[in-house]
Parts: sequence; C-alpha cells; structure tokens
Amino acid sequence: MIRKIFLVGNPNVGKSVVFSRLTGVHVISSNYPGTTVEIAKGYLLTGGEKIEVVDLPGAYSLEPNSSAEKVMFSLLNELPKSDIAVINILDATNLERNLLLTLQLIEEGFGVIVCLNMCDEAGHKGVSIDIKKLEEQLSVPVIPTCAVTGLGIKPLIERLKEVVPRSRQRLNHEDRWKEIGLIVEKVQRLEHRHHNLREILEDASVRPVTGLLMASGVIYACFKVVRFIGEGIINNITDPVFFNYYRPLLERISVHWQEGGFWFHLLIGDLINSKIDFKQSLGLLTTAPYIEFGMVLPYVVSFYFILSLLEDIGYLPRLAILLDNLLHKLGLHGFAIIPVLLGFGCNVPGILSTRILESKRERFIASTLISIGVPCVPLQAMIFGLLGAFGGFYVAGVYAVLFFLVVIIGVILNHTVAGYSPEFLLEIPPYRYPPMLTLIKKLYFRVKGFIFEAVPVVMIGVLVINILLYFRLFDLVTNISAPVIKGLFGLPKEAIIALLIGFFRKDVAVGMLAPLALTAKQLFIAATLLAVSFPCVATFAVLWKELGFKDLAKAALIMILASIIVGSTLNFLILR
Amino acid sequence: MSRVSLAHIKANQKCRIVEINGGLNLRQRLMSMGVYEGKEVVKLSHIGLRGPVVIKSGRSVLALGHGMAAKIIVEA
Repeated sequence: MIRKIFLVGNPNVGKSVVFSRLTGVHVISSNYPGTTVEIAKGYLLTGGEKIEVVDLPGAYSLEPNSSAEKVMFSLLNELPKSDIAVINILDATNLERNLLLTLQLIEEGFGVIVCLNMCDEAGHKGVSIDIKKLEEQLSVPVIPTCAVTGLGIKPLIERLKEVVPRSRQRLNHEDRWKEIGLIVEKVQRLEHRHHNLREILEDASVRPVTGLLMASGVIYACFKVVRFIGEGIINNITDPVFFNYYRPLLERISVHWQEGGFWFHLLIGDLINSKIDFKQSLGLLTTAPYIEFGMVLPYVVSFYFILSLLEDIGYLPRLAILLDNLLHKLGLHGFAIIPVLLGFGCNVPGILSTRILESKRERFIASTLISIGVPCVPLQAMIFGLLGAFGGFYVAGVYAVLFFLVVIIGVILNHTVAGYSPEFLLEIPPYRYPPMLTLIKKLYFRVKGFIFEAVPVVMIGVLVINILLYFRLFDLVTNISAPVIKGLFGLPKEAIIALLIGFFRKDVAVGMLAPLALTAKQLFIAATLLAVSFPCVATFAVLWKELGFKDLAKAALIMILASIIVGSTLNFLILR
Repeated sequence: MSRVSLAHIKANQKCRIVEINGGLNLRQRLMSMGVYEGKEVVKLSHIGLRGPVVIKSGRSVLALGHGMAAKIIVEA
C-alpha cells in the first residue's frame, strides 16, 4: 500500500513540472539546476485515493554529498520502503548520467518507476531510446513523458500500481558506470546531427570573448525591454485609467468630506494646487493605489516576464560562468548570480534561493550583499518614477553607488568572515525554447504573489502613517533624529519618516519623499539610503529564518554602518 | 602522451582523465556527475586566467572552478 510518492531525479530534469502535472499545485520551474530549494508537497487523486506527493530538490546520487542530497536521503528513509513509491525522473537527452541515480535507487530496494522526461527534445536531438529494452534492463516500469505538454502523465499515474521493490546487485561506483555504459549501448541510438544555430550559440556563450559580448548584449537588451514594457503599460493602460476615470470619480466622491478633516486626510490626503495629485497626496484612495498599481505593478510584470524568459531559455548558468571570476573576489562563486537576479525582483525569493549555495559563509555573504545592494522592483520603479524626473544620470548614479558598495563590502567580508567557500561545479543546461504556457503561468503566479503580499501591507501602512501624521505623533521621532538626518545626510528632518517606513515597504517610503520637494541631490541620497539601510520587514523575517539571529545581527550592523558611511560620504564629498 | 591538469590544456582538446587529486567528497561529487578516472572529456573553454573551466562529458556540459580543474589530471 503506497502512502507517499517521492519525485527524485538529477537537477534540472523537470521534476517540478511533473509535480505540477500530478498534483495541480503550481511550483516555479526554470531551466537551471536548483530551482527547487524548498520541498513542495501536494496530493495526487487516483482511484478514489489521496496520496501525498513530495517534490525533492535535485540530486546526482544517493550519497549525501551536498546539503540537498542530505535532505533527500533522510526523507527517503523516513518511512518503510514498502510504503513509498519513487518516481525517478530522467532527462532522456542525457540518459547515461541520469541512470546512476536510477541504479542506486533500485539497488537500495526502493519501489521505482522511471519517468523518461523530455522525450520530445531527445527526438529533436537525434536521440532515440528503446523503452521496452530499457524496462528489461532495469526491470522497472519506464514511461516516456513530455511533462511540459502533459504527454505521458496519465500512463505514469496508471502504472504507479506496478511499483514494487526489486532486487539488484549492489555495485561500487566504477562498476556501476560500466554497467550504465552497457545499458546505454543496448537501448540508445544516436543519430549524428550537424551543429545547428542553437548549439553554436550555446558554445559561443561559454567562451571568454564571445561570451562576454553576448552577456553585455543580453543584459542591455533586457534592461531596455523591461523599461519599454513597463513604460508601455504605464503610458497606455494604467495612467489613462487613473487620470481619465479614477480621478474624476474620486473628485466627485470627495465633495462629501470636508477638506482638511480627518476622513479627507485619511482617504484623499492633501490637495496639491487644489487638485488630487496621485504622487503627492498620500491618501488611502489616492497615492496608495497609484504607487502599487500605477507605478510598481507595471514594472513587476515586465521584470518577471524577462526574468522568466531568461530562466526558461537557460541563459542564467552561462552568465554564472562568466561572472565567476568577479564573484570569487567577493567570497562567492558564479552561481550566486541567480539569487542576486531573483533579488532584483524581490529580496525575499532572492535570499531564499541562496540555499543553492553550499556553505554557510557563502549564504551569509550573499544574503547580506543582496539586502544591501540589490534594490527590489518596487524600489527601483519608484526611483525611476521620482528620481528619473531629474534625469537618467541620477538613476544610473544610484546603481553605480550600490554596485561599488557591494564590491567593497564583498571584498571586506571575503577577507574577514570565517569558513570556506566551495568551488564552482555546475551543470550547464542546453538552451530550450521557453514553453509559453508555463512561462505565462509562472508570470501569473509571481504577479499574483506580489499583489496579494504587497497591496494589504501598503494599504495598512498608508492608513497607519496617515493616522500618525494627522495626530502629529511623528514629531518626537523627527526632532530626535534631526541631527543625523539633517546634519549628516543633508535631508530635511521629515525624511526620517520615509526612512522608517522603508522598513514596511520601500515603494511607499519613496512615495513619502515626494511631497517633501527634495532637490535632486537629496532625493539621490534618500533613495540610496533606502536601498542600503534595513530591508523591508518581509526580507528581515527571511534573513532571520535563513541566517539565525546572530548572523542577522551582524548583517544588520553592516547595513547600519554602510548607510551612515554612504549617506555622509555622498552628502559631504561626492555631491557637494 | 603528456599528463597535465585540466586547467592547463588548451580549449577544444579531447583528453582522458587519469587522476583526480581530491578528497573523497570531491571525487564522489564528480563521480556522480559522470566525471571519473578513465572518462574521456572535451575541454570547451576557459574563462580568464583563473576562471572556471567548461568541459563536455558525455552529453552534459559542466563548469568547474579553476582550483577543481587543476586537481583533475588528464592525458592529452
């Protein structure tokens, strides 16, 4: 009687796609190893039964060499072997390497069913596998699938009942590879194909000169396209809606409240030139929805669209190779670029995905650098929206300051933090055409996640701020902190409110700066400080969970020091 | 036939691995990814002077850190 199903396989063979197909639970999948850093659970309904399905992080072998493999090892041994079924997912384009884990699973006495995934791609690449012969060789059921389209999932579920533990002679690694060589020779036929354009591009992207050229081109193009799509949505969709429909509506409603009264202040905020100004009014019905839907959401959509595209094509591991040298100087290795890129969307998934890095030291350095120097999309969108009005030069300046800060802090941490940073060992996946349906789905879930997590916080945040402002409860804080804010950073003392709110939401915090009529220099400093100083509360919670209290305290100390140094340096030396 | 490390041979060269000068953990990690003594691999590229080395082993492409590549002795 099977009580639990485990999905086991090498990294990047499509376990998460199979998982989504079996359980209907959506999990993020991409074309690089290590997308799954958390163990996902769901249920498969079959024949009136409900069986738990567990999606495990990818592993190359059953020996617990990496932390992901250790997790897999202990979970697999929790229940008696007769109670579980292992769906071993294989990449049909790379049968040889995948079979190592398969043989180990069968030898260990697990009930195994083999799901030979990516059969369509294998066909395109001239790889044909004789399924019957492979079943004979392994003596377990083998089902060819293409999980992205759903092909083969039904037979996979139907044949789950055939799963029983088999016995197979235990081999050592060398003999196992020999055995695999023999099996592959019997079941696989390769058709020689000429190099096609995709393979030429694959090669070029991992060579020094062509690789760097491609990387610069790709990064530049992504940046341009993110801006193009983001601005396109703002100019053609959200702004017209806000200004042509929403504002007239608000103006008609607002006559019911007395201007300057409590409710007017709370809901509409202040009138600027006796008109509602979405950027400066700071009301619950004016600025709050405009920040989230009119300024940030368009960029969330465009950023995640491009990021998902890069993930699914399989470009990111290649970027990791090229950046390995630089990241080594910061005590990290190339693969750390993936948490960094995710962090540009939102620091929370960025810091969660530092789990793909192996040592505690690397995870500490990466998490600290992300929370200091990687501004999330909401913050970036607001910086573009407000600082961009003074010219692109200032916006580029913020990025430059953050980049140098990351390099400097990284080098210092690399020389002072104890522990080891293991070397780079990464499988580079082939380029794949992004499966459009899964890409759109992934985008949908990421955008939905943003709306459900951000909007309530923003609404409550603006509500609380407005009440505090109305009853002038900020005055005490403002006056106490004035020497630092005014003296050290050259900002008006009211800017402390924005910096404090940065702990809630970075986008609202930048929004709070809008009515202060800051100069370009002041806005530059305030925006940089918001990026460098404490991350928002959600990021803080994840840092605590991932690093523990002691390392969180260290990271926080670094953030405070960095903010003070950067803020005052910018104020006194650079932007005089 | 000369014995050099994977970090030192030129790109686009085919070679056979003869020795992995690493601890058990490294040997096992490489072994489970299909890189073991006796295996034929092709070095695809080398990024910068002390950067990672990219190899093709069977049907997979792997990137190894420079230090790791220096521990893999090959016959070319």
